[in-house]
Amino acid sequence: MSLNTIITVLISASLTLMSSMSYAEQPDYMVVVNRPNNLHVINLATETIDRTCELPGDSAPGTVAMSPDKLTAYVLAGRFGKIWGIDVRNCDLTFSTDLSNGNIRVKSIASLAVSSDGEEVFTVHNPVRIMNDHYEVLDTQFAVYKADAGLQAKPVRTYPVPRQINIIQTADDGLVYLSGPDVYSIEPKTGKIETVIPSRTANRPGFSQPDILTVWPIGRVSDEFIRMYSIAKFDESGDPDKAEYFWGFEQVILSTGKTNVTEFAPLEDVLFTGMHRPGKPNEFYGVLTQLKRFDVNSQKVIKSIDLERTYYCINFSTDGSKLYLAGTYNDIAVYDAETLKKLGNIVLPGGDMSMSTSQVFSSPKELSNAKK
Amino acid sequence: MIKSLNPLSWKGAKAIGVASLIAFSGYVAGDSQSAVEGEDILQNRCMGCHIPEAQNPLQLSRISHQRKTPEGWLMTITRMQLVHGAVITDDERQSLVKYLADTQGLTPEESAPYRYVLERRLNHVEDTGSELKEMCARCHSEARVGLQRREQGEWEKLVHFHLGQWPSIEFSAMGRDRDWFGIALNETVPYLSEQFGLDKKVWDDWQAAEKSSLAGSWRLAGHRPGKGAFNGSMTAEETARDKYTLTLTGEYANGEKVSGKGEAILYSGYEWRANLNIGEESYKQVLAMNKSGKELNGRMFLRNQEPLGIDLQAVRADESRVLSVSPTYIESGKTVDLTIQGVNLTGNVDLGEHIKVLKTTGQTKDTIQLKVRADKVSRAEPVTVKVGEQKLEDTLTLYRSVDHVEVTPAYAVARVGGAGGSQEKVKAVFEARAYDVGDDGVAGTDDDVFIGIMPAQWELQAFDEIAIRDRDLEFAGEIDRETGVFTPGDAGPNPDRKYGTNNAGRLKVVANLNTKSKSLSAEAELLVTVQRWNNPPIR
Ligand code: HEC
Ligand code: HEC
Repeated sequence: MSLNTIITVLISASLTLMSSMSYAEQPDYMVVVNRPNNLHVINLATETIDRTCELPGDSAPGTVAMSPDKLTAYVLAGRFGKIWGIDVRNCDLTFSTDLSNGNIRVKSIASLAVSSDGEEVFTVHNPVRIMNDHYEVLDTQFAVYKADAGLQAKPVRTYPVPRQINIIQTADDGLVYLSGPDVYSIEPKTGKIETVIPSRTANRPGFSQPDILTVWPIGRVSDEFIRMYSIAKFDESGDPDKAEYFWGFEQVILSTGKTNVTEFAPLEDVLFTGMHRPGKPNEFYGVLTQLKRFDVNSQKVIKSIDLERTYYCINFSTDGSKLYLAGTYNDIAVYDAETLKKLGNIVLPGGDMSMSTSQVFSSPKELSNAKK
Repeated sequence: MIKSLNPLSWKGAKAIGVASLIAFSGYVAGDSQSAVEGEDILQNRCMGCHIPEAQNPLQLSRISHQRKTPEGWLMTITRMQLVHGAVITDDERQSLVKYLADTQGLTPEESAPYRYVLERRLNHVEDTGSELKEMCARCHSEARVGLQRREQGEWEKLVHFHLGQWPSIEFSAMGRDRDWFGIALNETVPYLSEQFGLDKKVWDDWQAAEKSSLAGSWRLAGHRPGKGAFNGSMTAEETARDKYTLTLTGEYANGEKVSGKGEAILYSGYEWRANLNIGEESYKQVLAMNKSGKELNGRMFLRNQEPLGIDLQAVRADESRVLSVSPTYIESGKTVDLTIQGVNLTGNVDLGEHIKVLKTTGQTKDTIQLKVRADKVSRAEPVTVKVGEQKLEDTLTLYRSVDHVEVTPAYAVARVGGAGGSQEKVKAVFEARAYDVGDDGVAGTDDDVFIGIMPAQWELQAFDEIAIRDRDLEFAGEIDRETGVFTPGDAGPNPDRKYGTNNAGRLKVVANLNTKSKSLSAEAELLVTVQRWNNPPIR
């Protein structure tokens, strides 16, 4: 081997090394909320907490949505009635709104998203007018706030949407997907709403109504707006005792808008959250008391393990190699996504994460380099 | 006007769960009062938010358009305090509950189908086929709904209140799979207005009806699961209108004697609520007077251990009536001692063609002791007990053999407690019901004859594989072998259990009955679970 080649090899080797190092300089981060009022900014490469920001009030439900530049964490908290924007580099409170207004009390059931340009914050209002001697439930609305509106933000636009909307998420093209009786898309500039996945209105012959529980807008790392359903499939007799029960998912690919409805496994255990492994459209994972890995095409469980405790909220590293279980109490469990071998725990100071949503993202330099 | 009454200063509801902190109790003490006092309280404590609609008597928005039980009124007013910040003293609240239950209560017929919830029969299973099961009775009993009368607009406002107060209602199971709000307004509300409309006339008629004071002497008869038959007497002295002081004496079938004193209030002209101290224990009576004013029916139970209590009947001591018989079953061909209890028992005893009275061994005006001989019969048959003109049906059975046993309740819930925590253990008590299955030889068919509640040997088993794995049997609690009373384990985490979990568990309760020909057994399911932190007067 000539010196030249050796040098080339060395250089290229060191180049590879450097590029992987530079990759390592962009570690994944997680933002998650726990009681009583903490927002944690966690470096997942080192599994250490960079900083813990204090929220101005009660953390429940602790739904988190990141701005597209990953520098602002928006949190739906304050007993489902407030949204706060926190600069994750320094814990500054940059945005705040009380959804309620006068005698109109407004709650949002985990509906929180940020526009694709980062300029607007979206939620869904469930208002009730509290009168002197009675209540009046008002129509639900999609509400748009300016991200730079400061600490007393008021909605700049509202549009009617169906009742029973929980999680929402913005796609790459700016459309916002809403999880409700069906899955809808809404144009946040015009309020134009469309059904993209009929669910309650699907009325599939031979199937029950799907049952859907979600307050966790996960799926950003796997490029999906995702929710699971459980469903019964009846034989000719229609007898519930003879029905087969399945888990399925309803998915919108955030980069393309393509939708997908699939039963991926027989219903064996209760699961709270589930999502695809990033980059692996055939691998689906779900969690509650068990952690389960499914093969979507064959509708099989590849592996299932009993957890030491329940975790509500699953999420993955951006490369899909690790998975993070959060929610319920105050530690995050780290697993190898391939083997489901436990790798460790990240214990959070403070109380329960409860129904908080963890968000994982590849950190911008401004975040990983921010002063600790 | 009080500041908190301004609706715009509303600060957001405290969780209704705070209701658990208020012991729903003590509303039988307190002075009885005139209508004027009730109106004064309405005016001073409610009118800040509720709008006057008429005077003499004072009519207020919302309040004057509903009828409910005393417990129902108590819950509403308590919510006004906890959620809306209404200010009212405990004494005023008691007076107002009395006033509203008297002027806007339910009639005996209206409350009849749902008395189990007032009588705190916690293991009562409601009709699962009901219209309201999924929409309403998934959070609380259907009885809470059925024990109210309202016009359509009021049912509608109730739906708005529910969704406004608990937005999660349309996102939780049996809400999220349907258009909960739409169905509630368009289907449930019309159904409720039809079934449970305000129906003022029914109430006006009841209010106009002649009612007698409950002062005087009463003869008591009853049955207490775990202890058996109960007999006794009670004297009520009316100290103020609808207010009574009580003395009570009685005896269980096992010879245990009890006596005590207490106080009672009569609501709505027939709803009898009493607190009694009997020995060391504190009891509550929830009874309803029947139309004639001559009888009270319901339950008398331990205040701190509601599952334990007597199914009670009280009859005026100047009536003539057969109340009970002991034992309640006689085996074919046997000669036995039989005791008949009642009030002013006169005349001949007649036990039908198959039971012969051999001898009267004792007689007072309330008790007759007999020696009787039963004929040989091939199948069980009910026996009517006649004393003179009076008769008692569906109580005494002549039987040949027990074919089949059932445990009641078939499903029960007990709760861990004690161990220094604020919540008492909630026990459960079981009984073995014996049957003759009839000629078809099949249990559960129309020709079955109920023989009686028989003594059994009680034991516990793990419910299933999971209960075996978690060793529930070791931790969840113990059952008394003779009485069938189950006492759950202590509250709190148990370091001896997997994951240091609490003493919850799932068990089978087994009754073993040895009859002369065979041994029979039957089982029930028992769920031992954690404490319930809120225990409203209407579950
Ligand atoms: C601070 C204001 C306020 C005061 C004071 C107040 N209420 Fe109310 N009341 C309300 C509101 C608001 C509602 C509607 C929401 C609800 O049902 O809780 C209501 C509803 C009611 C209802 C209808 C409940 C139902 O189930 O539909 C009744 C009955 C009632 N109140 C009785 C009372 C009585 C009796 C008092 C006086 C002891 C009182 N309220 C005092 C605010 C008040
Ligand atoms: C999510 C659980 C939930 C569901 C579903 C629900 N309720 Fe309730 N309901 C409650 C609670 C909690 C209260 C107690 C409020 C209080 O403490 O006063 C209540 C109270 C009531 C009361 C008593 C109110 C008063 O002040 O007199 C009535 C009547 C009632 N519910 C009827 C209904 C009906 C009818 C439906 C179905 C349309 C329904 N509920 C569905 C939770 C529920």
